[in-house]
Amino acid sequence: MIEDLAMHLADLVQNSLRAGASRIAIRLARRGPTLELGVTDDGAGIPDPDLPRVLDPFFSTKPKAQIGLGLPLLAQTAEMTGGWCLVERRPEGGTRVTARLEWDHPDRPPLGGVAETLVPLMATSPGVEFVVELSDDRATWKLDTCEIRERLGDVPLTHPDVLCFLERTLREGLDTVGLKEDR
Amino acid sequence: MKLEELRKIRERAEAELRLRGGAARVKVVVGMGTSGIAAGARQTLRAVLDEVARRGLKDVIVTQTGEKGLAAQEPIVEVHEPTRVTVYGEVDETAARQIVAEHVVNGRPVAGRVVEVREVRG
Repeated sequence: MIEDLAMHLADLVQNSLRAGASRIAIRLARRGPTLELGVTDDGAGIPDPDLPRVLDPFFSTKPKAQIGLGLPLLAQTAEMTGGWCLVERRPEGGTRVTARLEWDHPDRPPLGGVAETLVPLMATSPGVEFVVELSDDRATWKLDTCEIRERLGDVPLTHPDVLCFLERTLREGLDTVGLKEDR
Repeated sequence: MKLEELRKIRERAEAELRLRGGAARVKVVVGMGTSGIAAGARQTLRAVLDEVARRGLKDVIVTQTGEKGLAAQEPIVEVHEPTRVTVYGEVDETAARQIVAEHVVNGRPVAGRVVEVREVRG
């Protein structure tokens, strides 16, 4: 079972990778009493006839999959907290998934290890650039793997020093915008 | 962001790469689909990356993929070598480290966890 929000984010990122995305934007925003999480990609996108069905647990766009649980589970999680989940086809191509949850709702799952989950995924997805944007009512914090790769040259993101750097930097970003568990 | 720190990492890593050189010998692929993530694939991927780094294995590529159609045996890890692909099932953190130590380093598959071996024809 998907136990924390970091797992949901990883699942959304995996959907984007499967759709052939070359650029994936991950967003976590704490605004007033809500938490919004979203993943936007420039992948193949969901065909219009399939869009109304993507939150149906017995529907999947994957040819061999029996069921596609990731998006329905996220929608269920969001709705349990009084929130919602929206899946959109971007006019410029690709998909945008947004979920809003009530931060203080007792059914909101914990954030989980956001840095520990996203960094290995980002580092092991060659040819894909990631933007992570974290924000709250006071500040916005951003990490762009394209900028980091430019500075690293041929050194891969999987290099242990780079992994440590990315995880520490992302944790600092989470602290900066108040995305910390306080319960 | 600490750009100076990135510059130092680059200098150090490029010096290492010049010393060791060589092409990738083995590719390790971790299944990170929904069922894999739910079964603990995040910890598996981190353990593989950590063990490869800890042992300084510069000729090993670590990557991930989506569903592998083996949901009941997640987390799945594949070890790709020039002549064969070995598929492991139910790979927790301990098993991931064992696969790197015994299979990737010493070339001996970890028998108890092998789900499938596919020969690769050149």
